[in-house]
Amino acid sequence: MISSLEILIPKNLNEALSLLVERKNNCRIIAGGTDVVPGLQQGSNRFANSELLIDINRIPEIKSITQTREKISIGGAETFSDMLQNQIVKEELPLLWKACSTIGSVQIRNRATIAGNFVNNAPCADTVPALLVYNATIEVESLSSKKEISIGEFLTGPYKTKLNKDEIVTRINIPIPSKEFRGDFYKLGRRRAVAISRITLAVLTKTQNHMIDEIRIASGAVTPIGIRFSDLEKLAKGKYADDKFLKLLSQKLGEQILNVTGLRWSSEYKLPVVQQMFYQLLKEIEHG
Amino acid sequence: MTEIKFIVNGKNVKVAVEPYIRLIDLLREKFDLTGTKEGCGVGECGACTVLMNGRAVNSCLVLAGQIDGNEILTIEGLANHNALHPLQKNFLLHGAIQCGFCTPGMVLSASALLNKNPNPDEEEIKDAIAGNLCRCTGYKQIIEAVKETAKEINSPSKQL
Repeated sequence: MISSLEILIPKNLNEALSLLVERKNNCRIIAGGTDVVPGLQQGSNRFANSELLIDINRIPEIKSITQTREKISIGGAETFSDMLQNQIVKEELPLLWKACSTIGSVQIRNRATIAGNFVNNAPCADTVPALLVYNATIEVESLSSKKEISIGEFLTGPYKTKLNKDEIVTRINIPIPSKEFRGDFYKLGRRRAVAISRITLAVLTKTQNHMIDEIRIASGAVTPIGIRFSDLEKLAKGKYADDKFLKLLSQKLGEQILNVTGLRWSSEYKLPVVQQMFYQLLKEIEHG
Repeated sequence: MTEIKFIVNGKNVKVAVEPYIRLIDLLREKFDLTGTKEGCGVGECGACTVLMNGRAVNSCLVLAGQIDGNEILTIEGLANHNALHPLQKNFLLHGAIQCGFCTPGMVLSASALLNKNPNPDEEEIKDAIAGNLCRCTGYKQIIEAVKETAKEINSPSKQL
């Protein structure tokens, strides 16, 4: 049972940010509610002192998808369904589109929002690996400040981010990747729908005559938080993308994940799967 | 208590409620719309599916204080007076109902799909009902009922 809570629905960003200042110590933001409502219902201590929920679903400033020459800007309270229906996201950011399509169910995607996916920095957040390889930046606003930082910087540790109590994630900005990039997103859950991810991988590569010009690799769920593998990215730069090297890279990815995560009861299963799936992804991207 | 105005099954309503109760509880307890079922209570089973502004949502994940000004459709509002909705008719004809607990949510998810996409393929139907669990596992009949309804909708000769 949910105990007494007030709910306010601000009509614009300023109103919401003012509320966050006025009611600093006892308010929480709610958008789709797919994480907040079960949390409240189960009496999670995340909401122990909450007296007010601020519903940010009706704030136009954080609800649109826009495109300029260099970037695509997605409002933080944009739902996955809206993103999936958006042609710009589908064509320019196919990995993010695919990640969104694997989330929950139609019912969940109709309510859940992109910022909501990563503001609690759960390791299994499906959009994170895609946002990482796209070099997304996060726009955060409070009544007195506005900042824009990379997603990697924003996500500081398991269930921790740089977001302060008086701030809202207003937009997610993604530089439009050049057409030479090819890539894919992979998700493994216990079933196809309404499943928490066990493994997610995102890869974006640019090769010229089978020579790796640039590669961006990110994982989620198998690491404590979604991360990029810059050592591997550096190692791969300038290498010939033949079978032998792709296998080596996959093996090294497994080693790196083990380094970050440590040996777990599930490692025996997950590590070979990660390596094999990563190898398959690379092969498909390379050979089309 | 907060006063909330919204539309339920085509009717404008006004109700004073605690804003933190869930939409499913509001519908079942204040409006006696008990066709909306509670299964898991955490957004995984879809038994509590209703349409909010035409979109399928889990009513266990929406709070009453969030719905002011919105339009809600429950299974009770789908039939046209005494005439069953074509989906309801076809669910019966195809044996797509066993225990019936998932049925209201299943029918509403299917109706949201057909409103948006009157000619879905099997994969699209499966995706639309992926968030509705049927533990009697009669999915095949359910998919057939949705397919048949789409066929009827698209056939100009047939009166719905």
